[in-house]
Amino acid sequence: MTAETARARWIQAASGLVLLSVWEGASRAGWVDPLFVPAPSAVAGALREVGGAALSGLGETLAKTAVAYALSVAVGVPLGIAIGSVRALRQVLSPFVTALYGMPKILILPWIVLLLGFGTAPAIVYGTIHGLFPILVLVAGGVRDVDEHLVKVARAYGASTWQLYWKVLLPAIVPTVVAGMRLGVVFCLLGVLVVEMFAGVRGMGHVLGSLANGFRAAELFAATALVSAASIAAVLGLDHLSERLSHWRG
Amino acid sequence: MSDDLIVVDGVSKRYVTSSGPVDAVHNVTLAVSAGEFCTLLGPSGCGKSTLLGMLAGLVTPDGGRVLVDGRPVTNPDPRRVATVFQDPGLFPWRTALENVEFGLEVQGVARERRRAVATGLLGPLGLAEFARKYPRELSGGMRQRVAIGRALAIDTPIVLMDEPFGALDEQTRVLMGEWLLEIWRRTRKTIVFVTHSLGEALALSTRVVVMTARPGRVKCVLDLPMAHPRLMESAELVALRAKLWSEIRDESLRALQ
Amino acid sequence: MRIWLARSAILIAALGLWEAVARGANPLLYVPPSAALPALGRLLTLQSYPDLLADMALTLREILTAYALALTAGLACGAALGLNRLVGRAYGPLLAALYAVPAVVWYPSLMLFFGLDAASKIAFGFLLGFFPIALAVLAGVRQVNPHVLAVARAFGARPAFVFTRVMVPSMLFTLVGGLRTGLALAVIGVIVGEILGSKAGMGALINHAYGLFRTADYVALVLVTLVLIVGSDALAVLVERRARRWTE
Repeated sequence: MTAETARARWIQAASGLVLLSVWEGASRAGWVDPLFVPAPSAVAGALREVGGAALSGLGETLAKTAVAYALSVAVGVPLGIAIGSVRALRQVLSPFVTALYGMPKILILPWIVLLLGFGTAPAIVYGTIHGLFPILVLVAGGVRDVDEHLVKVARAYGASTWQLYWKVLLPAIVPTVVAGMRLGVVFCLLGVLVVEMFAGVRGMGHVLGSLANGFRAAELFAATALVSAASIAAVLGLDHLSERLSHWRG
Repeated sequence: MSDDLIVVDGVSKRYVTSSGPVDAVHNVTLAVSAGEFCTLLGPSGCGKSTLLGMLAGLVTPDGGRVLVDGRPVTNPDPRRVATVFQDPGLFPWRTALENVEFGLEVQGVARERRRAVATGLLGPLGLAEFARKYPRELSGGMRQRVAIGRALAIDTPIVLMDEPFGALDEQTRVLMGEWLLEIWRRTRKTIVFVTHSLGEALALSTRVVVMTARPGRVKCVLDLPMAHPRLMESAELVALRAKLWSEIRDESLRALQ
Repeated sequence: MRIWLARSAILIAALGLWEAVARGANPLLYVPPSAALPALGRLLTLQSYPDLLADMALTLREILTAYALALTAGLACGAALGLNRLVGRAYGPLLAALYAVPAVVWYPSLMLFFGLDAASKIAFGFLLGFFPIALAVLAGVRQVNPHVLAVARAFGARPAFVFTRVMVPSMLFTLVGGLRTGLALAVIGVIVGEILGSKAGMGALINHAYGLFRTADYVALVLVTLVLIVGSDALAVLVERRARRWTE
């Protein structure tokens, strides 16, 4: 660890401690309304109390996210490769893809709930739609950016179209696909949470919503921290995977 | 002539660019016999790379035809022709060894055999310790050697090289040239080499084809039957250099305009 | 030319499919274009929702406020992190880590704190818009070529001059992209906030129509909101182009 990194860590730790102390102090002194801003100690206590319900809710949410994620990747990656590599498709479809990508999907959420009800289905469908587009767009971009010279070289050595895809295109886009997958996780989780908040009976989104409605601030903060930690962990995991698979990039 | 391995017969190529049509090559005719080290020499933009592209089967001529081993060239034929480009074009996700294997892999050669051939080549390439390194860990000269190894691995009678040492510094160029000559002598392949460097042409080739500025045509052909390695300061070579320079000087000036 | 034809064909085919599928189906769930258009007409003539303009105005106000806040905070934070190397290294990873959390997890906390009024929507829009702006400023400041700065200083340029005439133009490209994303996200934040629970605004109207199974009105409201969103992005693109021309 360099001296600079060490100092940076010091600052992070110090500011964290300062923030927590000031927060705790302000709560104890009565400067902030505990109804809206609970003390850190209260949050820690609430974590133990509500932990069980929160964890089961988290499990629900993560399960739905996993399914939605699998679907987004299964559809988004091949579609992205197709759109990126076949020029005709790209030219004709790109404005549609851009438009759909940029459109806030929340606008069709009420309709999806109308159609599919309050259960697990709308969460999975919406989560998939949410995660699909960033993956597709990123992968298509990655395919377009593949060094043309490499394709030329492969052709000079007699590679067939199939071999071009398998031996040149796919290995070349691995870093981009992983980057897309990393983005997709956050988007899928977001989609599932939104549905659970809007019209859910189970899952973390619903838990957070009801805690907020019940003005249970400490429990809400605790549950929020839990979900955040899970998300950060997932992204960090994918970051690690990304590094392992892109080591040749340098 | 019957022992001409490569025959280029009146080929032309026109490109359509944003500033209008450009004739890269116009009515070029030449022949290369087996075992030659033939250099295409000319100023920038004289179409030598286009011509090489036609030999490689990557560029289709608008007029005329190219014959390799008596057969017209329509597509890349990795059983007869291997190509080395100025940009080594190594696959960054493959190690040096895996890059050398690439051509064999495309042709469906079994893994053990591929490995054996590639490993066997790394020694003479001077890359034995770098077999497991990735391209980003190699210098420019090393990468180009890997690219040449990739070309040699498929053991074709003809090897095309498009300014392979262009991106290297002077000293490395000279050393790579000597090394290439050694490989050529040992393998007896036919090499078609593109360069804009007089020195390189004189040091390496058995035959130099001088091309005009755009649109490229064959200006003249010089035979260099002297033995290798060549003493560049010898009277014969000095005279040849002067002759070559006089041929190429006007073309270079034209290309500058 | 053919591309244009192919695109039009796809569009027409999509609309046709929508019409065909929706016609015979349950009208509470499926609204074909032929029913959506009259609903749109009723909406725009203020028949179905007489307070439409007030709600639109509210949503726009929320968006503008959220964006203004995001812009200020984002520029300040990004610059602070970017200009001071140590601070940047300390808090930069924090910013990136927070970005890995889907923003909607903060919304219930915001609702608790601000209630169902405009304030929570503004806060959420601010939260969403802040990150891309801050990160873009950070990236922009960091990627300014130190050589260019050194040359400028060697010519005796003063810090203010260096900042405005050298740093800003060289990072404008990265910056403007981030500003545009920030706007798009602020818009989404406000709208998501409204749909998840609000008393007024476009999102509230959408919720209202959905709750009463007034699906045709719902479609009309969605279309109007889309126009609003596309309009705001188009504005951003115009500003972006102006800014580019100004620096070239």
